[in-house]
Amino acid sequence: MTGESPLGLVLLEMAVLVVLGPLVTGIIQKLKARLQCRQGAAVLQPYRDLAKLFRKGTVQADTASGFFWWIPVLVLAATVAAGALVPVVRTGPSAFPLGDALMLLGLLALARFLTAIGALDAGGAFGGMGASREMTIAPLVEPVLMMVVFSTAVAAGTTELGALAAQRGTSWILDWHAADFLGFAAMLVLLPSETGRIPVDNPDTHLELTMLHEGMLLEHSGPGLGCMALASHTRQIVTLGLVSALFFPVAADGADATGLLLGAGAFAAKILVLATYLALVESSYAKLRLFRVPQYLAIGFVCALTALALRIL
Amino acid sequence: MSAESVYTIVDDLGALLLFTMILILAAGQIYRAIYAVAAQSLLIAIAGGVLATATGNVDLWVIAGVTLGVKAIALPWVLLWVVRRMNVRREVEPVIPVAATLTLAVMVVVMSFHVSASLGSVRHAITGNALPVGIALTLLGVLVMATRKTALHQMVGLFASENGIFFTAMAVTQGMPLIIEIGVILDVILAALVMAIMVLRVRSTVDADIASLDRLRG
Repeated sequence: MTGESPLGLVLLEMAVLVVLGPLVTGIIQKLKARLQCRQGAAVLQPYRDLAKLFRKGTVQADTASGFFWWIPVLVLAATVAAGALVPVVRTGPSAFPLGDALMLLGLLALARFLTAIGALDAGGAFGGMGASREMTIAPLVEPVLMMVVFSTAVAAGTTELGALAAQRGTSWILDWHAADFLGFAAMLVLLPSETGRIPVDNPDTHLELTMLHEGMLLEHSGPGLGCMALASHTRQIVTLGLVSALFFPVAADGADATGLLLGAGAFAAKILVLATYLALVESSYAKLRLFRVPQYLAIGFVCALTALALRIL
Repeated sequence: MSAESVYTIVDDLGALLLFTMILILAAGQIYRAIYAVAAQSLLIAIAGGVLATATGNVDLWVIAGVTLGVKAIALPWVLLWVVRRMNVRREVEPVIPVAATLTLAVMVVVMSFHVSASLGSVRHAITGNALPVGIALTLLGVLVMATRKTALHQMVGLFASENGIFFTAMAVTQGMPLIIEIGVILDVILAALVMAIMVLRVRSTVDADIASLDRLRG
């Protein structure tokens, strides 16, 4: 549905993203378990984990400063704010100036920066290691994400995500240009990295040699850890939403209830497709050595740059 | 099919061809590169089919079929057979780091687009982006040949380069004379057989790789 979306709808969509974030993680974990011939935990397990964490008390390292307490809250706030920029059932620009795709990437980068600062602040060895690794990977991923956004934005003439999604129209691959194939390929390469999954990071492990994101969360506990976990669930669904806004078609035109329902259903379908992709990749590849990661990400970089070259030249 | 939709489809196939080329360049293991080159040949065959439908040129159908049979199925199979037979190290041994190769690849792609853009009106007579994509594929194939140590990987580069020439020829001329295309394909088969035999022979008699054959001894 095209049209201007009011504040209420934007806030509602943001809330929906935050609420559904853990569900997506649960679905991916269930799919992975089934692919490995295990029964696996229930789809709702991430919610139970969160509920448990929020009931617990907080223990904090003696070396941590007062700012450490604020880190989880700020990270969650930045990520949730990024969620407001993702079109869920609406397409088309919002009714008030909200921010665009670059703002979204900036907010995600801010959340990442704060997470790393928090890990360094607590003074643990693993936290420092995780932070240094995360900060090594991040500059390789973020520019490429921006280039992918630009490669679609050049065609649409705007960086506003809702407008980009509206531009995509209702037709499927028939409407894709040559650059879209390469941009999408770059996005598929980057997705596991941006959501912290194999082959770049392993979300299940707490082995010191392999963890990136988990290493930075070690010093957090109780509600703080809950906030960080919720933030990473939200970050995942926001990234998936970004991909679907950039590359997947919208379901229907129309501002009535049917249009909204169709839009919501289509969004769920798109997220499910991407979640299945992530689960498949995670089940069929091994984690890369840290020094091989730049080579893997370089594939995404070359694809994105070629997509831009196809668009501009 | 209208000319417009043919242009779009050939453009899209060109993008996918570039993607497979990037996969060949970035492949960490030899068999992945072989699968990627097989996929590339398959895409070339599809492009041939699309152009055949559009132009009504029967020769193009024959060429698409031969490409599918020889380059997408037979030659990759031979390569995989040699890999299994030789029991070589599966990891790619690059001359310069793979990241550097990829940077060079970006420059090659941008340069071929830039050069083709300078052609101006001539370019519009040619199907979509086929010319720059073809040039880029050819040069990137040469890049693979130049930056890999093992003969097998250089063969993969040769096939990729050949695919690029084929794609350009098909898209630009809307089908060359059949006899030329068949000749080119036969050349490739011959080259593949000679190289496969040579690789196996060299391996079995002196247990050396191509990279070690860089000095003459009296």
